[in-house]
Amino acid sequence: MSAPQAASGVSTAASPAAAAPVLSVEGFSLTFDAKAQTNLVEDVSFSVAPGRTLCIVGESGCGKSVTSLALMGLLPSPPARIVSGTARFEGSDLFAMSERARADLRGNEMAMIFQEPMTSLNPAFTIGHQIAEGIIRHRKLSKAQARAEALKMLEWVRIPAAAKRLDAYPHQLSGGMRQRVMIAMALANRPKLLIADEPTTALDVTIQAQILALVRRIQQETGTAMILITHDLGVVAEVADDVAVMYAGRIVESGPVEAIFADPQHPYTIGLFGSVPSLERRQGRLATIKGAVPPLQLMPKGCRFAPRCPFADTRCHEQVPPTVSFGAGHKAACWYAPIEQTMGATQ
Amino acid sequence: MLKIIARRVLVAIPTLVLVTLIVFGLQKILPGDPLLTLAGEERDPQVLAYLREKYRLDDPFHMQYLAWLGNVLTGDFGNSLRTGVPVSTLIAQKLPVTLQLAVMAIIMAMLIGIPAGIISAVRKGTTTDYAANAVALSGMSIPNFWLGIILIMVVSVQWRLLPASGYVPLTENPIQSLRTMLMPSFVLATALAAYLMRHTRSAMLGVLTSDYIRTARAKGLLPKTVILKHALRNALMPIVTLSTLLFGELLAGAVLTEQVFTIPGFGKLIVDAVFTRDYAVVQGVVLCTAVGFIFMNLVADVLYILINPRLRHPQ
Repeated sequence: MSAPQAASGVSTAASPAAAAPVLSVEGFSLTFDAKAQTNLVEDVSFSVAPGRTLCIVGESGCGKSVTSLALMGLLPSPPARIVSGTARFEGSDLFAMSERARADLRGNEMAMIFQEPMTSLNPAFTIGHQIAEGIIRHRKLSKAQARAEALKMLEWVRIPAAAKRLDAYPHQLSGGMRQRVMIAMALANRPKLLIADEPTTALDVTIQAQILALVRRIQQETGTAMILITHDLGVVAEVADDVAVMYAGRIVESGPVEAIFADPQHPYTIGLFGSVPSLERRQGRLATIKGAVPPLQLMPKGCRFAPRCPFADTRCHEQVPPTVSFGAGHKAACWYAPIEQTMGATQ
Repeated sequence: MLKIIARRVLVAIPTLVLVTLIVFGLQKILPGDPLLTLAGEERDPQVLAYLREKYRLDDPFHMQYLAWLGNVLTGDFGNSLRTGVPVSTLIAQKLPVTLQLAVMAIIMAMLIGIPAGIISAVRKGTTTDYAANAVALSGMSIPNFWLGIILIMVVSVQWRLLPASGYVPLTENPIQSLRTMLMPSFVLATALAAYLMRHTRSAMLGVLTSDYIRTARAKGLLPKTVILKHALRNALMPIVTLSTLLFGELLAGAVLTEQVFTIPGFGKLIVDAVFTRDYAVVQGVVLCTAVGFIFMNLVADVLYILINPRLRHPQ
């Protein structure tokens, strides 16, 4: 995988504003506890355009998976409750739709693949059946047609001896193969948006690269918009067009991948890059971000990163930082942004 | 598949042998002498000696066992020590009664228990769930004989809807037969339905939170398909286990329920036999019940293989 520092001089792809976004999320907040003072996910906004890949990055528990599940309508509610915000998918607000209308979109216009390929397929049915089932649900196809379509999908995701695998049960496939099946299932109805929640985390490294390559190829062929959730910066460098860095339920920095990698502005993003091991000789210990994400009850009123931030002062703890823009869609939520200028004097 | 089933059948054979040994052996350990029943009031030593000789009671244990086993294999369970009627005849008379009662009870229990369990799992934490659980708890706690008596009083005596007692063979008058068996099988079904409901509920709760259910929903499948196809199919194992076990138990007869509704089934037969130390009858009935139980286990094994593809391709 290429080093995270690679991106600065890359030619600019089509500007993100060019095509109307497939999905645009605005001011999204979510809670699991109606009585809690702080929301698990707070004021999250982002958008993805056709053919583009948005990577949502952050450590476990920062709310990235919950956000994607909420967009898919797969969070059990109660306890989950959307406090505010809109999620416009092709113009209409997902959160205002009926349950039935959302089910019609799921697996059809918008699809999702998950982190756990080993447990995400139903052990009681053949994979051919499970892929065809989604096709029949959304398209008026006969069983035989759907089966033929399922076979095409399996070939497309490069499953060897696809015709034979159609009648295989999940337990007869390896983790990598199962993830390919999940991808085939998700893409069977040519979705406009694909959400991939850490699709390679549970796989070993060689398989990870294959799956990533597969996902990229498919995206190039279909022009689908993709949200990729990951904590692996190597993956981000490889596939992202845009990046949103999440910390403790908020987006702390977002923008085109080149800008984020070349010129990170939020102390958390900087710390995140600092904790990537490099092959070059390192002086001293590998940098880490000190401390841990505070529990929700102890979340500071201001910047949620303040307790762990080396630059934080009382203002950071008390007041929510403004979102500062650096042009070309690059934004960071920090009182000290842009960080070189404000910190230059003291360092 | 057939190979796996054949293997399960072979495994059942040692179990069967063990059962015959226990059935035969226990009788020998029990206190009380069946000859005293046979010999009548006088207990003439000569008569006793003659009987001892006739029934080979002085032979060593294994000889007695083998002789008995040989007879059993040819369908000869001996004669009732009390009435002299062949045990096989008695079993042939009572078995259809018990079988009909058991089948009707288990079907009713499944029809009530499984849907109730599914609904209360899906509506977990709601009033429906609590209500279903409360009903299940009372189903388990209400004694069968009491419920039977109450039903007779209300349904038969006051409303005159169903016959209060008795038995009509299915072959003689199917409708009347089903009518007479309706109340007793319902009484038996209440507790069973409650157990099934509880187990279905917990199995469904376990399955409903699994990743493949999320996948099914992510495909846009409607709740009905997700629950009844993707979830229920995977929750079926414990339900099958319990259903077959409960049915096996029903085959042993239901003493109290049979008594309340005066049904001539296995329960009454075996209780009478035990009280009169009618060894041959006890052995025959117990053996019959045990074989039924082992058979039900076999049925469960085959159903597992049908339900769970992982068992079809053993590594």
